[in-house]
Formats: sequence, structure tokens, C-alpha cells
Amino acid sequence: MDELELLKKDWKKDGDNKYPKLSYKDIYSMILKKSSSIVKWIFIISLLEFVFWIIISFALKDADFNKRFETYHAEKIMLPFMILGYLILAYFFYKFFMNYKTISATDNAKILMENILKTRRTVKQYVGFNLIYLAVSAFMVLGIQFNRDKEMISLVDKASANGEVLKLYAITIIVTAVLLAVLIGIVLGFYYLIYGILLKRLNKNYRELKKLEV
Amino acid sequence: MNKELEHSFVEELEKNQNIVHKVCRIYTNNQEAHNDLFQEITIQLWKAYPKFRGDSKFSTWMYRVGLNTAITLYRKRKRSIVTEDFSDFQYKIKSEPYDDTEEEQLKLLYKAVHQLNDIEKALVFLYLEDKNYKDISETLGITEVNARVKMNRVKTKLRTILNP
Repeated sequence: MDELELLKKDWKKDGDNKYPKLSYKDIYSMILKKSSSIVKWIFIISLLEFVFWIIISFALKDADFNKRFETYHAEKIMLPFMILGYLILAYFFYKFFMNYKTISATDNAKILMENILKTRRTVKQYVGFNLIYLAVSAFMVLGIQFNRDKEMISLVDKASANGEVLKLYAITIIVTAVLLAVLIGIVLGFYYLIYGILLKRLNKNYRELKKLEV
Repeated sequence: MNKELEHSFVEELEKNQNIVHKVCRIYTNNQEAHNDLFQEITIQLWKAYPKFRGDSKFSTWMYRVGLNTAITLYRKRKRSIVTEDFSDFQYKIKSEPYDDTEEEQLKLLYKAVHQLNDIEKALVFLYLEDKNYKDISETLGITEVNARVKMNRVKTKLRTILNP
């Protein structure tokens, strides 16, 4: 006999008597409890990621080097750049929230998984955007410093007198790039750790369903 | 949420609770995990209940939400202390005696099912529940043809697990 037929025969045997019977009261108390579903965790962690980047942007604003930066009078360049940053944050947050709202346990398994992954993808893109934004603003600041920071200008003058101005530029740019790369590496490392733990099973199951389409 | 909705939901679930127990039976292998999954499915059903419009049967709708919870949404509440796995035979409260070889074979079969991946378990579960390929494909979001192909592969896989 087919293995599954044998299993089915046993599965149906005794009908409904072999399972525990929960009372009305048992079930009622269950609906009052809190869910611990993956969607809830994804929601919390995604919100934390948004909050993290908002805090970073405010922390940078208060930092000492920023006060010094104010003396460069570069608002005309930096202000539009900052406004753009907030607009993009609003856009990602809106998109994240709309995606989150479409997640429904009544969809079929594949659509449910896709909607969850879509929600995460928005946050992933937001993190990617932030890293690019960070790198671009760091180089913009560097550019402004070369032109307007008094210490920097005197350093450049000294270097040109020695004929080492190219070396100075090269070293500053390389050091900045390396620091940025380390920072981005750390953020990405954390990110993939969280992402990996959170979505390991979901990704595996989604791949399994997708595999069927090929 | 109003009381009337709560009442109708709990009543319906109480009547159809076996579907949830069966999902838990396929996806868990100890009592604690069974209860934990049962709890989460109940919460997910309750959360989705306001959207249940009755264009399908309550039980049909339960299969979908139950499986979605087991496959995708469920996350263990806490790292459970390893409790002794209970044999599937504990589910049998009263049953006529099996002949030994059949009983042994069934034990191995249930064990083999527990070794399948989440999607394969869903296929086996829906098959055991007499769902046709149309229902299976709609629940999982795959085509009917693929559901058939996959089911055959699952059968082969089970056979391989049983006779390595």
C-alpha cells in the first residue's frame, strides 16, 4: 500500500477523539494573549532601524565638529541636502507602513511571504540609502573643509610650499574612505546578522515555493 | 473588538479546534511546542477574523490561516527546554490494537513526516485532510500542476527516508 494511504487511514481513525478538547474558556483566554509572530518582530526591528538613523542624524547635528562646520557658512549646500534626506525618510517610512498593512494571514502562503519580504526590502533599501547618504555627505564635508576650514587651508598652503599638496589630498581622502568603509562594514555586518536570524526560515520556505515554478 | 464578535469566534473555533490540533501535530513534536503553536494560530485566527466574510467556510479559512502561521508567522515564544518528544501514538486515546508491523510502520511514517521541510509538511497535511489539488494550490499559492508534481516528489522523499 502507498505509504501516504496508510498514514491517511490512521490519520482518520477515531476521527476527532484523539485530540485534546479545549473548552470555550481555554480558547477565550488564548485570544487575550499577545502574539509572538515574526511579523511583530519585523515591525519592531524595522521601527528600531528607522529610529536608529534618526537618532544618528540628530546626534551628528549636535556634535562638536558640526559646530565648527557652522563657521564655514555652507548652509546653502547642506540645507537642501538635509531636507532631501528627511523627504526620503518620509517616503521610505510611508512605503514601509503601507507594505506592512498589506500583510494578511488570509492570503495564500506565497503572497503572505512575498508581502513580508517586501516590507523588509523597504527597510533594506532605506539602510542602503543611509549608507550612501553618509558616504556622500562625508565627502561633501571634506570638500567644503578643503575650501573653508582655516586649519585645513593653512595645511594646504604649507603642503603646496613643499610641493606635497597632492600627497595631502590623497592621504586625507584615503583616510576618510577607509574610516567610512569600516563604519559601513560594521553597520552591514549587524544588519545581515539581524536580517539573517529573522528571515532565515522564511527565506528558506519562500525559495522552496519558488523552486516549484521553475 | 466587540463581545458579540468574540463570542461567535470562540464558539466557531471551539467547534473546529481539531483542525488547529492537526496542524500542530504535523509541525511540532512535543506537547509544549504543540500548545505554543496552538496559541499563536488562535491569535492569528482571531486577528484575521474581522476580515473573514463567510464567502468560504470557517473551516476552509482556518486551514489557510493555520498553515500560514505554522509555515511563516510562528516564532517560538521562548527557547523551550528540550522535553521528551512524545510519540504520535499518544494522540490515540482509544483505538483497536494494531498489528505490530503496521504499528511499527506507522511510527516510522510519522517520524519521516517530521523530517520533511515546512512546505512538504503542508502538502502532506492537506493530502491527509482530503483536500484536492485545487485547494492545495490555492492555499500555498502554486499552480495545480506544480502541486501534483511536488506531491509526487514528497511521496518519493518519504519512501527514501523510510528505505534508505
